[in-house]
Order: sequence, then C-alpha cells, then structure tokens
Amino acid sequence: MMTYIDYKNVVPKTIIALGVLLIALVPVLTANEATLSMLILSGIWSVVVMGFTLVLRAGQFSLGQAAFMAIGGYTSAILTVQMSWSFWPAFLMAGLVSGLVALLVGMVVLRVGGIYFSIITLALCEVVRIIAQQWESVTRGTRGLITSQPNPINLGFYEINFFINSVPYFYLTLGLVALTGLVFWRIGESRLGRTFAGVALNQVLAEHQGMYLMRYRVIAFTVAGVFTGLAGTLYAHFLTVLTPTMLGLWQSIQILIMSIVGGIGSLVGGPIVGSFILYIFGSYLTRLEIYGIQQLLFGAVVVLVLLFLPKGTGLVDLWGKFWTKVIWREKEFEMDEGEE
Amino acid sequence: MPPAGIWIDGLIQSCAYMTMAFGMVLVFSILGILNWTHGQFYMLGAFMVYYAITIAGLPFPLSLLVAGVLVAGLGMLVKKVIIDNITGELYVGAATMGLIFFFEGGASMVFGMQDKGLAMVLPGVLNLDAFSVSHQKIAVVSFTLAIMIILYIMLNFTRIGLAIRATSQQPDAAALYGVSVERLSLIVMGIGCGLAALAGGIIAPLYTINPFIGGIPMLMSLLAIVIGGIGSLTGAIVGGLILGFINCVVAYHISYFSEVVLFVLVIIILLVRPQGLFGAALK
Amino acid sequence: MSFLELKKVTRTFGKLVALEDIDLKVEPGEILGVVGPNGSGKTTLINVISGYFRATRGEIYFMDRKISGQRPDRIAQAGIIRTFQSNVLYEGTTVIESMLISSYQQYKTSHWHSFFNTRTWKDENEEVVGRVIELIKLLDLLNDTFLPADGLSHGYQRLLGIAMAMISKPRILLLDEPTTGMNHEEAMFVVDKIKKINEQGVTVLIIEHNMKVLLNVATRVVVLNFGTKIAEGIPDEVMNRQEVIEAYLGTEMV
Repeated sequence: MMTYIDYKNVVPKTIIALGVLLIALVPVLTANEATLSMLILSGIWSVVVMGFTLVLRAGQFSLGQAAFMAIGGYTSAILTVQMSWSFWPAFLMAGLVSGLVALLVGMVVLRVGGIYFSIITLALCEVVRIIAQQWESVTRGTRGLITSQPNPINLGFYEINFFINSVPYFYLTLGLVALTGLVFWRIGESRLGRTFAGVALNQVLAEHQGMYLMRYRVIAFTVAGVFTGLAGTLYAHFLTVLTPTMLGLWQSIQILIMSIVGGIGSLVGGPIVGSFILYIFGSYLTRLEIYGIQQLLFGAVVVLVLLFLPKGTGLVDLWGKFWTKVIWREKEFEMDEGEE
Repeated sequence: MPPAGIWIDGLIQSCAYMTMAFGMVLVFSILGILNWTHGQFYMLGAFMVYYAITIAGLPFPLSLLVAGVLVAGLGMLVKKVIIDNITGELYVGAATMGLIFFFEGGASMVFGMQDKGLAMVLPGVLNLDAFSVSHQKIAVVSFTLAIMIILYIMLNFTRIGLAIRATSQQPDAAALYGVSVERLSLIVMGIGCGLAALAGGIIAPLYTINPFIGGIPMLMSLLAIVIGGIGSLTGAIVGGLILGFINCVVAYHISYFSEVVLFVLVIIILLVRPQGLFGAALK
Repeated sequence: MSFLELKKVTRTFGKLVALEDIDLKVEPGEILGVVGPNGSGKTTLINVISGYFRATRGEIYFMDRKISGQRPDRIAQAGIIRTFQSNVLYEGTTVIESMLISSYQQYKTSHWHSFFNTRTWKDENEEVVGRVIELIKLLDLLNDTFLPADGLSHGYQRLLGIAMAMISKPRILLLDEPTTGMNHEEAMFVVDKIKKINEQGVTVLIIEHNMKVLLNVATRVVVLNFGTKIAEGIPDEVMNRQEVIEAYLGTEMV
C-alpha cells in the first residue's frame, strides 16, 4: 500500500486566502501609522528573504542579499534625487539594475560553492557599502540620500496620494509581496524548482544528468536580485533616507536568520512567516526601555527556535512542507492504485 | 615608505587577527563549522580583562589568563548546550549568528553601552634612535608570541595536539584509533574561544572597549582565514599578518581604499584559488 | 560510423598513470563488460568518458562527435548517462522525487511552459510521470515509491541509481560496479534487470570487479590491468587467456 501525506490538504487554500484577505483589509481595520509601517517593513523584508531562500534552494548560501537591496535602493534614490526621475520608472529601473548586477556578478562568482561563496558575497556586501560611503558626489556618503514618497497618481475619480498616510504604500508593498510570492510559488511548482533541488542536493549527480549547474544558479541569483532590488527601493523610499550603514552585512545576517527560522522547506510560506514574526517581534522589543535587552531576547529566541524545532526545520515546515517542495501529488499517480 | 609607527600598528593588529584567526581555524577544522560568534568572544575577553584590572586589581598577565579561561568555559558551554543539539551546518551557522545578538545585547545590558578605556597598563616608552615604542605595544607582541609558542608546543608535542592534528586531517581514521572526537571538539571549542578572548584581552589596553567591538576583528580574521586557506593553521597566521599590515600600511597611502583592496583581493583569491595561499585539503 | 570510440585515451594523476593509450569501441546494442583488478583504471575510464575527469591525452568520439573535453552535462545531454560506484542520491528525497528530478532531460518544452502551467506542460508531464512509473515497476521499486531514498537497502539504492540513469533515456548507459556489496542472489537479480534494460535497446558499458557477474551479463569483455588494455573478446574465451589469469592471480578468479 502506498502511504504518504498529501501536503495539499495540510493548509487548505481557503485558510491561505482568508489570511491574505485579512492582511489586505488591515488598513480598513486600523489606521494606526505604527502598525502599518511595521507591516510594510516586514513585507519588504519578506520579499528579500524569499529571494535569499530561492538562492539557498538552488544550493548557494548568499550573505550578500542586503547588497542587492542597497543597489536597488541607491539606484532609485540617485535617479529620483540627483536626476529627478519620477518614482515609478526609477522603481522599475532599480529592479533592472539590481538584476543585471546579480546576473553579471553571479556569472563570475557562482562557480565557487559552499562556504567560499558565502564569504565572497559577504565581501561584496562590504564593497557595496564602502562604495556607497565614499562616492560622496553621488551618494552623499554617510549623510545619506533623502528620498521622497512616490508621486500621487491621479485616476480621474480618485487620487492615490502617498503623502497623506501609509495606506497606499501598504498596498504597494502588498502588491510586491504578492507578485514575488506568486512568481516564486510557480518557480517552486514548476520544473525549474525541481531542477534547483537537483542542483542543490547533489551537484555531481545533477551535472551527470544533464543539468548545467551554472545556468540554474545564475537564474536563481538573478531572479532573487531583481526582486531584492525592488524591495530595496521600497525600503529606501519608505524610510525617506538611505545611508550606507542601513544595508550591510548585519542586515544580510538578519535575512539569513529570518529565512532559517521561517523554514526553507517552502519558498513562499516560510520566508513570509519568518520575516513577519521576527520583524514584528523585533520592533515590539525596541519599545522596551533597557539597553541591549532587545538584542538579547532576539538572539535567544532565534537560538531557541533552532534548538526546539525537530531536526532543523523552520516554523512553517512544522505543519507540512506545503507549497513548494519538489512534491508530487496524489492525482498524478492515481492510475497505479488499482493494480495493487 | 610609511613611518615606523604605522608598521608597528600593523604588527599590533596582525597579532590580534592572528590569534583570533588561529582559534577560528582550529574550531573549523575539528567541528567543521564556522563560529560566527567568535568576535563576541573577543569582545567578552576585552571586557573581562578590563574588569579584572580595574575592579579586582589583578595584574595584566593574570587577568588575561582569567579572561581566557572564563571565555573558554563559555565557549564549551555554547558547544554543549547549543551546537551539539542542532543538526545541519546551515542551522548551526544560523544559531551562532543568533548568538551574536545575544552576546552583544547581554554585554550592553551588563557592561553598558558607553566606551571604556584602560589607562596604560604598562606605562613607559622604549626609545630607539629612529622611533619610539610604548611598552604596552611591546607587551602585545611578546604575549602573542608566547601564545603562539605555547600553541606550537601543544600541537606538536602533546597527546592532545596529536589528536587534534589527526582529527583535522582524517576524522574517521582518528576516531578508529581511539580519539574521542566528541571530547576533542569540546576541548578545541574551548581553546578556540579562549584564543579569541586572549586576542581581545591583549589589545584591550590600546583601544576603547564597548559591546560592539567584536564585529570588525571577526570579519578581518574571517578574511585572514580565507587568504591563508580555510582549514590551514599556518595559513591563519600568515593571513592574519598580511591583513594587519594591509589594513595599516595600505590605509596610510590610500585611506579607505584599503578596505576595497582587501575585499577585492579576497574575492579574487577565492575565485582563482579557493583553497587559499596555503592550500590545505579542501573539506 | 562508430558509436562510442576512445582513441588513445590517457589519464594521469600527477605521476600515477591511471589509463594509458586506451583504444576502445562500443558497438550499439551490446553489453560491454570492462574488468580488471582493483586499481586497474576501470572507474577512471567511466569518469573520463562521462566528463568528470578530462583525458590528459587522446580523444573520445560519440556518434562521430568529439565529446572529450566537454562538460559533464553536455555529455549527458548527448545521451551518455552514468551511475556511480557508491550510492549517490539526492539527499533527503523520496524515490519518486529523485526520479522526477532525474527526469530533467525528458522535457523538451521550455521552462516557461511549466512556469505558466500550460496544457503542453501538463501533457508532457503526464507522459514523463507515466514513464517514471513504468521504470519503477521494471526495477521492482514500486513498493518503495514514497519512501525516503536513503532509507532503502543497499541493493535497492543501487537499483534506484540505475533507474535514475535510465529515466534520462540514455543511448549508452555506463554502470560503475552495479553489484558491489551484494551477495550472489542479489547480484543475479541486478544482472537480470540489466539484461532487461539492454533488451529495450540501450547499449550498456558495465564495469565490474566480480568476474562471475560479468560472465553472466556481458556480450563482450575488455580486460584492463595497470591502466592498459590487455585482452578483448567474448567472455569465456578471454577468461581463459594466460595474461588475464596472471593479472587476476591472487584475487578472486572464477
């Protein structure tokens, strides 16, 4: 007899749909700016964490994802501030530039695997930070670039104004999270996801079965780069200031922790859960008035989660590796059940 | 040619990086993980030396010893409680990264966030014709040398050193010959973390101390390891030396650009020769 | 036109010569056995053909195309698929998952089709999955379909390795010691499966240490010793030659 878990039913689609609806309705339920900004920022981080997880699922452990955020953020900030572009073309341009950098860097750097790749990306992250710090004529160095909210969009009957409150920005972020989630979900479900798994789980075997490792690693790195760059833009324009120290090694480490704690078994669910929980937890901690206790508790929680989850799974993996693992489904094999 | 003072500063930094990098390589070659909290052990070492001198009034060498032993114990505790109970390289890596936050937060709570400085522990200046060196700096170099000699003796002439060398080369074979890898890795973790604390303690009197000083030495010794070759003990020492000098001497000529040079150098080394300058066997 | 042809292939590791001036032709449809004592360069031969190592000197042609010096994935795409001496699996996957990952080469449509979940992709996928099932049945793995691959017994892991190679529809299958660590019955079981595979029109090059197994399966054998070819011909005849017996003296002989 065949026995297996059909992961599809572990988290019913309706629950996910309800969750999405609930989040979409948050601005209706509360107009509290603090809550909104917390959700916006965790949304931005979740996009970045999804990118990191994609690269990880293709077998590479990148410590430089914050650099792509910085590249995206600086591209749009420079375009809007120094060259007075409007936000929207700059936003798209940022994704493009970040993706292009990921493509070019990836083609050189992804040859190297394992811990070496992590250290290279870590070094790249620092190089980006130093350039941002020292290229004062363009980036204004440590003083940082002052960015603005996107221009209002006039729909004729209604004007979407980003200056009044954070609600439009909330939906913009939600849109990006949804788009990223959709794309990554499809990647995980499709043949591409399978191939990533092959490349990650056994390089030598994958290569001898006709998969060109570099091609798939570069695809993963580039896709991650594009979305990370877009998220970086949102980050820069939401905080209205962008300094070199905002996106460095430290943030790369946070991204990694969010991804691992959320669970890398799924490309979408894990990163979203991980980044929302950790970010919201972290920002509640900053309200405590004792210096250092936030970091202490944050670190303790991370370690505890890793300690008490069974055999290295993230939060999401706990209730099934739903959504994106290379899975196979019951109906594909129904034809065989009769014969046994 | 930069003035002699710059070279001496380079040497001082090299000493710290060397000691730390050595500990990291030691841990890596036996446990197979990079301990990302190494920088925080450095910071704790510096604080312990500070308090041992200012509050307990211990002499400098003795307080170094105390800091080393205490942090070594802490490292063993981390190994026993956390690292042993998590499976998978990835997850252990993430856990040690989480510990960075834990220790920095803890240190800020206990020791406070403001900068602390030790007044010169060993006052006085040695005057040579061309330049002068403070006794403190001489002490740094000589303590580092002493530590290196002790380590050399330990690795080459004791049973435990033999076990460490054997395990780092052939873990399975060493286990067959009766080396308890479990116990050995605990000891090595202790030694590695103790070395980080010593590195912090040795240069504590020269620089300011705060809970966040661990990050840069950690990064630098990581790079030193890469330059020397991950897993190579000689490599760690040479890498540390090179890095310290690059940091000071190149910085003298082209200021901030030295860092870019450094990172680009590391990237190139990893791309061209991932096993580093002293190509130890790839893990 | 030759099928797979090695011309004066040499591979050295430093001073050690693992293969020296090997000339070898594989004819379509046959089961060619390569035997030799330990260290005679058998596995190096497979590694060189499959592109894992480059040949130091010499050339390899497959269907009149030069494949020596190409990347392993190119060689695999040309239709040369290998298995490994030890059990090499995709870590942490179930049997069916490993098979689906391995079926990479069976999809001819672009990744976009599967990304957008089009009709074409669904049809193609159904077909491939059907073939996966067939193969699983052929190799008697049906009861283990949903079990973790690394939990299978040694023999079944070896079979899974062969299945994972077979799903790529190789023109020629390189088997690296498929019966290591098995007792006689198990080995005969695997031999039977290899014959079945061969009947489907797949050329097989099998490397084996165990003579008994080889006598049962190969239609032609090549004997290697110290990296050189010392004999070639039909199994029964070759095994009785003096130089072959000498090469094997002291090791297990039939």
